[in-house]
Amino acid sequence: MSDPLAVTLGPLTLNNPILTASGTFGYGLEFTDFVDLAAIGGLCTKGLSLKPHAGNAPPRICETPAGMLNAIGLQNVGVEAFVSEKLPKLRACGATVIANVWGDLEDDYVTVVRALEGADGIAAVELNISCPNVRQGGMLFGNSPPLTRALVAKVRAATRRPLIVKLSPNAPDLVESARAAREAGADILSLVNTFVGMAIAPETARPRISFGTGGLSGPAIRPLAVRMVYQVAKALPGVPLMGIGGIAELSDVLEFLAAGATAIQVGTANFKDPGVSGRLVKELTDYCAARKTTVAALVGRAHRGGGRVGGAAGAEG
Amino acid sequence: MKADHRATLTRRQIFSPGLFSVTFDCPDLARAVLPGQFAMLEVPERAQPYLRRAYSVADADAGAGTVEFLIKTIGRGTRALERMPERSTVRLLGPMGNAFTVADLPRGARVAIVAGGIGAAPFPALLRGIAKAGLSADFFLGGRNAKELSIRARFDGLVPGETVLASDDGALGEKGFVTEALARRLGAGTRYARLYACGPMPMFAALAKVVGPARLPSEFSTEAEMGCGFGACLGCVIPGTEKPFIVSCSEGPILSPEKIQW
Ligand SMILES: Cc1cc2nc3c(=O)[nH]c(=O)nc-3n(C[C@H](O)[C@H](O)[C@H](O)COP(=O)(O)OP(=O)(O)OC[C@H]3O[C@@H](n4cnc5c(N)ncnc54)[C@H](O)[C@@H]3O)c2cc1C
Ligand SMILES: Cc1cc2nc3c(=O)[nH]c(=O)nc-3n(C[C@H](O)[C@H](O)[C@H](O)COP(=O)(O)O)c2cc1C
Ligand code: FES
Repeated sequence: MSDPLAVTLGPLTLNNPILTASGTFGYGLEFTDFVDLAAIGGLCTKGLSLKPHAGNAPPRICETPAGMLNAIGLQNVGVEAFVSEKLPKLRACGATVIANVWGDLEDDYVTVVRALEGADGIAAVELNISCPNVRQGGMLFGNSPPLTRALVAKVRAATRRPLIVKLSPNAPDLVESARAAREAGADILSLVNTFVGMAIAPETARPRISFGTGGLSGPAIRPLAVRMVYQVAKALPGVPLMGIGGIAELSDVLEFLAAGATAIQVGTANFKDPGVSGRLVKELTDYCAARKTTVAALVGRAHRGGGRVGGAAGAEG
Repeated sequence: MKADHRATLTRRQIFSPGLFSVTFDCPDLARAVLPGQFAMLEVPERAQPYLRRAYSVADADAGAGTVEFLIKTIGRGTRALERMPERSTVRLLGPMGNAFTVADLPRGARVAIVAGGIGAAPFPALLRGIAKAGLSADFFLGGRNAKELSIRARFDGLVPGETVLASDDGALGEKGFVTEALARRLGAGTRYARLYACGPMPMFAALAKVVGPARLPSEFSTEAEMGCGFGACLGCVIPGTEKPFIVSCSEGPILSPEKIQW
């Protein structure tokens, strides 16, 4: 039998389905005391732009029930410094690197993706069209299917690498966004990014985050994210999905696989438990061994076998 | 190397309501930590607080395998710590951040330590290090009132020099801000080789105006809301002079005031 943890998402094959989410895993190198980077399925870098980007003024984060709000504002070292300073070290660790990229304008995305083309050791590109914490670009692309379609088509033409498009849960119609990204050439869809939220300090009546609003993440969003993965898997059968949102335990991983994700990304949980991704790989290995099953067999189980799932997602019987 | 340690609560000492010290059995961290470094503490509650909280290591005893933190009750995390029964276990991620520098000072040098309220937390270990290195230190401790200064009990016998207390209401020690007490000493001609400080941002801002003109080399132990404590979230930035933002958990928490944009 082939490796029970290995998964194939279109053109991308991974040793296992446990990845770490962009912006919650630094450039990976911050975690080498806690995780063997070669042992996880892959890591998504902090969102990279063409030029180094300073990000938003503090305060940038605040805790909320079972999660947090953030408006980091995509602070990053820029694609050039990433390729020359971070990537060689990641390669030396044996990491499977997914470059997460963003831009203000369509052409910015294309330029960053082109700048990565020459670099060795990048397994895939993930387009962030869903960041709620910048004034331009980001989520604006993800919230409009025509803009999504145009952007993804341009980037598709600029790279031969596996292309992941990261969807916004704030889009008016997630399934339409997913369809637009897929039809324009996305190999894989990752979902979800953070939900736009807000917290106000009652003492001052001012937002707790200087940007005003922030992106909500952590276990608080998990049921929303599971529902979205389920919906997209149902509407677009056969499109490989990476599930993201509040994953911290093995049971959460199994939940997303059942909903239709072939791989998952661990986000905010990395902050409170930096070893969590490595631990999940071990626990999933043990789980599959004990049940003599494979991860591939666990994908999409919620859609099979006549169970009724009602509501907006529709019923199957 | 940073690691996620399991630690058992062995001792709690209360200075006044809401101001206390907790000591944990945590031999590996006790051996590794340097004065000024911090740890990210997780209390065993799943939803709230969700993120860990940063606490300066107040003191560590490598022989006994213990680490101590000085805590002021503020909100959810600190209330949980205050109520936690002895022998409870927590998780401690550390050691995090950089440390105070002492080793480069010549024997006999005199330094100043300035603490505002719970800002006294990182100084027991530093004071022991200073005494061991043969330096002398004046310890300036400020607080709003006598209750906030109750933490001074933790420093009995630790200060190789003068202890100067200051309270906003004048109930204990000199009346006014601790920064004013320091400025009076400097004005009278006292000279220090280095100053170490920890306290709330307004204290730092006032202190920067004192140490700048006096050309007194300083190390400020800064505080920012932290998501992770090890450079992964970029949530803890402080505006800088040499670059837009300093990542305070990994480039600090100890920073020289000229690098900070006040
Ligand atoms: C490097 C570093 C070292 C630290 N060392 C210590 C230490 O040694 N001892 C210690 O007691 N604390 C220390 N802190 C602060 C600590 O990390 C927590 O922020 C603090 O204990 C509050 O946590 P909480 O869960 O009780 O309150 P929360 O529930 O997080 O906060 C409740 C409310 O109080 C506000 N708040 C948070 N912190 C403060 C504050 N300091 N003053 C006023 N309002 C605040 C919050 O914005 C929130 O609105 C340190 C912080 C950093 C970054
Ligand atoms: C502090 C922080 C920074 C983030 N930065 C990025 C980013 O740069 N690019 C991106 O695509 N997503 C970013 N995200 C979103 C996460 O990758 C993830 O989609 C989201 O947090 C939901 O997963 P979680 O609930 O497991 O955290 C960020 C999230 C957080 C909390
Ligand atoms: S607290 Fe996360 S980067 Fe500093």
